[in-house]
Amino acid sequence: MRILRFVGRRLLQLIPVLLGVVVLTFLLVRVLPGDPIRSILGPNATEADAAAARARFGLDQPLWKQFLDYLGGLFTGNFGTSIQSGSPVSGEMALRLGPTLELVVIAVAIAVVLAIWLGIWSARRADRLGDHTVRIFALFGNSIPEFWLGLVLILVGYAALGWFPAPSGRVDPDTNLTPLTGADLVDAVLTGNGPAMASAAAHLVLPVLTLVIGVLAPLLRSVRASALEVLHSEAYAAAAAHGLPERTLLRGYLRRATLVRLPSLAALVFGTAIGSTVLVEYVYSWQGFGQWALRGLLYRDYPVVQASVLIIALCYVLIFLIADVVHAVLDPRVRI
Amino acid sequence: MLDIEDLSVVIRRPGRQVAALSNVSFSVAPGEVVGLVGESGGGKSMVARAIVGMLPSGSHATGRVGFDGADVLRMDAAALAKHRGRGAAICFQNPRGALSPTRTVGRQLIDRLVTHQGMSGDRAVESAAELFASVGIRNPGQRLRAYPHELSGGMAQRVMISLAAGCAPSLLIADEPTTGLDVTLTAEILRQFRHAADTDGRGVLLISHDLASIAEVCDRVVVLYAGTVVETGPAAKVLREPAHPYTRALLRSVPDVGGGRVVATAGGMPLLTAAPHDCPFAPRCAHATDVCRTTRPETEKLADGWSLACFHPQEAPLSVVNAEKSDNAATEAGRIVLRVEDAHVVYRSRFGSGGHHALRGVSLELRTGETLGVVGESGCGKSTLAKLIMGLVEPSAGAVAVAGKDVRKRSRVERTRAQMVFQDPIGSLSPRRTVADSIAEPLRAAKVSTADRARRVEAALGRMELDDSILTRYPHELSGGQAQRIGIARALVGEPDLIVFDEPTSALDVTVQAQILEVIADVAADAGHGSVFISHDLATVRGFADRVVVLYLGRVVEEGPVDEVFDHPRHPYTRALLGSAPRLGATRAADVQLVKDLDEADAATGCALAARCPFVTDTCRSQEQTLQPYGESRAACWRVPELPALIGKSDS
Amino acid sequence: MADPQLAPVVIGGGDRDRRFARALIYVGGAILVVAALAAVFAPLLSKWGPTEIDPAGTLATPGGAHLLGTDGNGMDVWSRVLHAARIDLGIAVCAVALAVVVGTLLGLLAGYLGGWVDDVLMRIVDIFQAFPTFILALAVAALLGDGFGNLVLTIAAVNAPAYARLVRAEVRTLREMAYIEAAKTSGASMFGILWRHLLPNSLTPVRVIAPLNCGWAMLTLAGLSFLGLGVTVPTAEWGSMISLGTSDVVAGRWWTSVPPGLALLVCVLGFSLLGEGLQERADAKRR
Repeated sequence: MRILRFVGRRLLQLIPVLLGVVVLTFLLVRVLPGDPIRSILGPNATEADAAAARARFGLDQPLWKQFLDYLGGLFTGNFGTSIQSGSPVSGEMALRLGPTLELVVIAVAIAVVLAIWLGIWSARRADRLGDHTVRIFALFGNSIPEFWLGLVLILVGYAALGWFPAPSGRVDPDTNLTPLTGADLVDAVLTGNGPAMASAAAHLVLPVLTLVIGVLAPLLRSVRASALEVLHSEAYAAAAAHGLPERTLLRGYLRRATLVRLPSLAALVFGTAIGSTVLVEYVYSWQGFGQWALRGLLYRDYPVVQASVLIIALCYVLIFLIADVVHAVLDPRVRI
Repeated sequence: MLDIEDLSVVIRRPGRQVAALSNVSFSVAPGEVVGLVGESGGGKSMVARAIVGMLPSGSHATGRVGFDGADVLRMDAAALAKHRGRGAAICFQNPRGALSPTRTVGRQLIDRLVTHQGMSGDRAVESAAELFASVGIRNPGQRLRAYPHELSGGMAQRVMISLAAGCAPSLLIADEPTTGLDVTLTAEILRQFRHAADTDGRGVLLISHDLASIAEVCDRVVVLYAGTVVETGPAAKVLREPAHPYTRALLRSVPDVGGGRVVATAGGMPLLTAAPHDCPFAPRCAHATDVCRTTRPETEKLADGWSLACFHPQEAPLSVVNAEKSDNAATEAGRIVLRVEDAHVVYRSRFGSGGHHALRGVSLELRTGETLGVVGESGCGKSTLAKLIMGLVEPSAGAVAVAGKDVRKRSRVERTRAQMVFQDPIGSLSPRRTVADSIAEPLRAAKVSTADRARRVEAALGRMELDDSILTRYPHELSGGQAQRIGIARALVGEPDLIVFDEPTSALDVTVQAQILEVIADVAADAGHGSVFISHDLATVRGFADRVVVLYLGRVVEEGPVDEVFDHPRHPYTRALLGSAPRLGATRAADVQLVKDLDEADAATGCALAARCPFVTDTCRSQEQTLQPYGESRAACWRVPELPALIGKSDS
Repeated sequence: MADPQLAPVVIGGGDRDRRFARALIYVGGAILVVAALAAVFAPLLSKWGPTEIDPAGTLATPGGAHLLGTDGNGMDVWSRVLHAARIDLGIAVCAVALAVVVGTLLGLLAGYLGGWVDDVLMRIVDIFQAFPTFILALAVAALLGDGFGNLVLTIAAVNAPAYARLVRAEVRTLREMAYIEAAKTSGASMFGILWRHLLPNSLTPVRVIAPLNCGWAMLTLAGLSFLGLGVTVPTAEWGSMISLGTSDVVAGRWWTSVPPGLALLVCVLGFSLLGEGLQERADAKRR
């Protein structure tokens, strides 16, 4: 019950932040250098053609009127019409969100599990060879550019070894997968399409691996630091001095105390992963949300930019909210 | 049972080497309580760590830590795992830090019961509740489900004791079990250890810096200095007629509520890099001769299990030197430097209503040349009072004036007319500023010229008996005693009207504390300013205050001339405080025992002490008590005239 | 009596930690020194200019006239990799320095003054931090456009809020310290407290984070260029070089994208090692 009230209060606090995001993006996209209308019209378009197109997208209205229309639309779930494609933004977005979420969620989940396991393992062997190896690995992971890592993986996994499919698309079109959620692996499972399942999984391996390596490093470092802090704490020393067995120490005194700080970090890393997908999708031609938003940005497609910025901000703050709730559940000291 | 023989520990790290323990030998038998006494750096904690086989990395240990026939130093991992907890269990110094924050205290106790007593399920829960009850925790069943952060300091210490006891150890080690606890609690906590020895037949090793306070429950004491055992003997005897000059210095350094004067010993404990070849105390010892400086005294066994490492043992019983009261002539003539009128301070919580009422209607007056002592337990509002006087918090109601000027309406220069000496000596100096910079800070505000500044800084430094070379150092390079002298110099340098000492010695070692108290006594005697001395320790206040104010939960409960309040306390709370303070040479009088801990007492209406006072009536609960004159002092209790009779009744 | 013949019991190690930290700092520092030297002396280390087109051919294999071959435009890859260090290191270091200065000042003010100043500044920081940093960098880069100055501004703007928050948190803890109260009761002015006491002491965590942040700034810059929003061809920059080499990868031509990526990785690693070592040293001091 207290948790629900906490969530409610936090959701209310989100409103001004999101409103700020809406206002800011609305104004800033219009300050962006470049004209969206000119980019869809041919080079021979006259001034009259441009004016007509502008009227079609409501861009001839005064700024405050445009904003009110946009805000009104938001409340009814209408994000406007894409200037580039001419189709509704909400429909396009729904198609693009699934594949990206599939990628990010799988990668972050794998990274979190690996980070917890490796981080605690490493901290318990602090300053021995295993620990140093893990740390050097984490430093490499921290320093590697994902987009380049993606290219190297393609070079090795596809061009040299041929183990994985070409980096174009998410599933073999010959498998006739019926899209439901947009997340191909999920769709394949839901429709019981065996070949599509195999194809989607094979397409996922390299991009997921790329993201995992990039995301794992910061998580791993923090889990290790946190575990080390617990191991050096008076509380842990006291439990050890009272002769509690290894297993009790690990389960009761190390693990939870270590994980207490993890949720907000995992949320941050989730954000990093969202950022990285823009690059990773580009490398693997994933045709996901990131690529769509990037194209919108490059072509100054106002409604697309506004919608994608809002959605990213919403995802991000919601993730942080979830992280805070998990934190409160893990840490008895937190009062909500 | 525990038999430490010739134990030496040298810690080698790159760039430095410390001889933490040198040839330490002593033993503890089942059912015996042994006190291990000394100042920080003396090696007490190292002994405890050696006993449970947890020496720090880089340690080189020689000798033997015998425990039931085996040698802890040379145990393999399996034997050590068995020994820890079941053989010897430590109660850690800082119980709140030593309890795992994310596990309920009940679970933590049950972990011990399961591991060391082979209990399981309901049996363990039941035993845990019993153990909690046995250490004086009310509602044990409910407390089992509490997390450490929900416990008060006293409660956490009790839980820690139950955790150690839950291991069913042959030897119970308590590391400074009463540090940080209020005086009214220490006696009870110490009794727990006596109890463990008497009823369960455990050996108990009680580690403390305060010989006087633990002597009462100990059978024998072992005194450590710079990693060596200087004196061992029966507790009562060592307390009354200590033979080693260090033991005597230690005891004389502790101020006494009876009015005994503090005798400071100059210097500080050396950090040895190797086992000493001389008497490590010789440089500070008044009786030292050439032999002390060239040869290390052997430990000699005297009668009654008394042994000693000294060439010049002292025999006379330690006499209490009563301070001759210097009549402060300035008192009548002085001008008023501080006036607090019916001040209230409420700390509002940032959101919503409510808040913490830290001070409720405090009034004070102070003249130049006068020293006012303020005493009370943690949470009584004494630090808030200090901040209020300094203008660091604003009164919610009432007024504060320093040198006739309202603290809220002062210019920068006027602000420097009141100075403060802080509890944490090193923390009160800016880490990246030199000592010279720190001392000169008040002068900078007063726009004193650079040359003049340097001259006055030097003068203040000279008064603190510090060398000029310290001026260019940074706080982390100073010892606690040096840092506090700097703090006092900073307070003095601008020749203020008022100096507030906020627990200036509570973070210092015993013999250093005595040195600083002497300095403060000297400073407080100046006729040019008034002093407020705030302390949780009644004894330190007695030394040099003229008048004393006793605070309880933000109210003044008693006020009067210092001797009057200490020798003839009126208020039940003052009586309880004085009754639980340790006294040299005298057993403490069972005067008034408060019921419940401070944190369990809410003061909604009526007398603040009502929930804890043994003499409470319905009148107390319903009527706010105000200060009323009783003889020379004033107390906020309407039953003062009846109290002597009531106390006599409860004794019989 | 204990047997004096018994050998002392030695409890192991303890300073391996410090040696590892020192090794990290030295290796990281060495990498950065080499990278900086390569950037400065790039023209001496390569026969070809960074934007010079070899008329003899595009996509030449490594060896022969070109140490690392040529790219699709016929430019020398080795020369470009060296010259790119100038712009990549330059923008990253300038941007982080700017972010540190601006962020620290804002954090100092917000933390010390509290009240509405704090509220306003922190709400702005909230909005900035409602986005993953790379996404934010994309948006700001699109807004400001390319060029050295604009890219420095972009990356600084994305990083400054984090410093503001860090310093603010530090100041809010320090504000309660006894030495700040001591300064106040000694009549120090607000400026004096900020400048003489709070600023030097609140910079401790910043010093550790800044090198790590430099590495991250390089990755961001390269990422932006990779997507066409940062430095653009023909200027030599590692991200845009990798971008140019993307199409070659599928055909198995590694030399156009692997060398710039490696150079980037090594430089960022230098910063990471340095930062990790500093962190480790700070932790060791704290214990």
